[in-house]
Amino acid sequence: MDDKAQLQTLEGLGAALLITMTVVVITQSATVMTPQHEMMLDVQLEQMAYDALTLLDIAPSWVIDSNLTECVAGWDRNEATMKHNSLPYLDRELSLLLPGFLYNVDFSYVQNGNLTTKNAILNGYPTEDAVVARRTIMLTNSTVTTAKGVWPIASNEIKMVEVRLTVWQV
Amino acid sequence: MAGLRENTSGQLIILSGFVLCLSLVTLAVLVNQAMMTGYHSSNAVLEFPKHQIRDITSQTKESCVYMTRFALALNQSNNQSIQDNYVSLFNQYEQQMRIIYAGHGEEVTLAISSMNLTSIATNASAVSTVWVNITYNNGMTYYASEPEIIEVKP
Repeated sequence: MDDKAQLQTLEGLGAALLITMTVVVITQSATVMTPQHEMMLDVQLEQMAYDALTLLDIAPSWVIDSNLTECVAGWDRNEATMKHNSLPYLDRELSLLLPGFLYNVDFSYVQNGNLTTKNAILNGYPTEDAVVARRTIMLTNSTVTTAKGVWPIASNEIKMVEVRLTVWQV
Repeated sequence: MAGLRENTSGQLIILSGFVLCLSLVTLAVLVNQAMMTGYHSSNAVLEFPKHQIRDITSQTKESCVYMTRFALALNQSNNQSIQDNYVSLFNQYEQQMRIIYAGHGEEVTLAISSMNLTSIATNASAVSTVWVNITYNNGMTYYASEPEIIEVKP
């Protein structure tokens, strides 16, 4: 065998290794955002939003100040503005559960046979990649009275309210 | 192989280059496949309405338990039977849930298929069941739980 050919083969292998290592280092160190990555982030964000609503709804009273039903029952039914959120308790709890994210909260309920939707927490206008999580809660006359709310619910009626949480990242 | 060994004009270099090319192409195809798998699995997770179905079933269970106590309390203050009070409350629940879900293009139907609440009126420790038919349809996913058997007690 010729020594020259063997050396050239080893050079080729060394060069190939160098190229492979360079490609690996570059791909590992750079963040490449593809549609696939964005979709996976959306899945994670949606799960976080649903988890936050679930936690607020089922958490015992000694864990948090007011759970989701109590917060909604005590709502003054005034729509939120950019500088004033009408549910400070819920806003505080959500800001702890979703650090670094922006969110809006809307309430949807049936009034005189029609669906009504109102803003309760307004932190801005969602971006295109915002996700929406929803959870339905039940209100009765006694829950509203206990929470000192103003929902017009008769003693033999129930009111279903959908809490709609829109979350996005800036 | 004998020819390769005797020939010193670089066949081994060409061969190793060819092998490396094939390896790189294989790796690129594998990486692309992994990305496509991630895309399809994420898309499937986003499209499947598991949260909505969970919300409907869990809320229906929770509401049925609460409505039992509510119907018993109403029975003490009005002249309607527990069953009548329960059906009235359930109809309110069904109507509102249907309208709320229709607001985002989803169809929900809820109907009581069977119930017997007479035993819990007299016995505080009795346990009864309410059978509720639940269906959900968003045009792509159809879900039915017929019946969803819900345990209720006073």
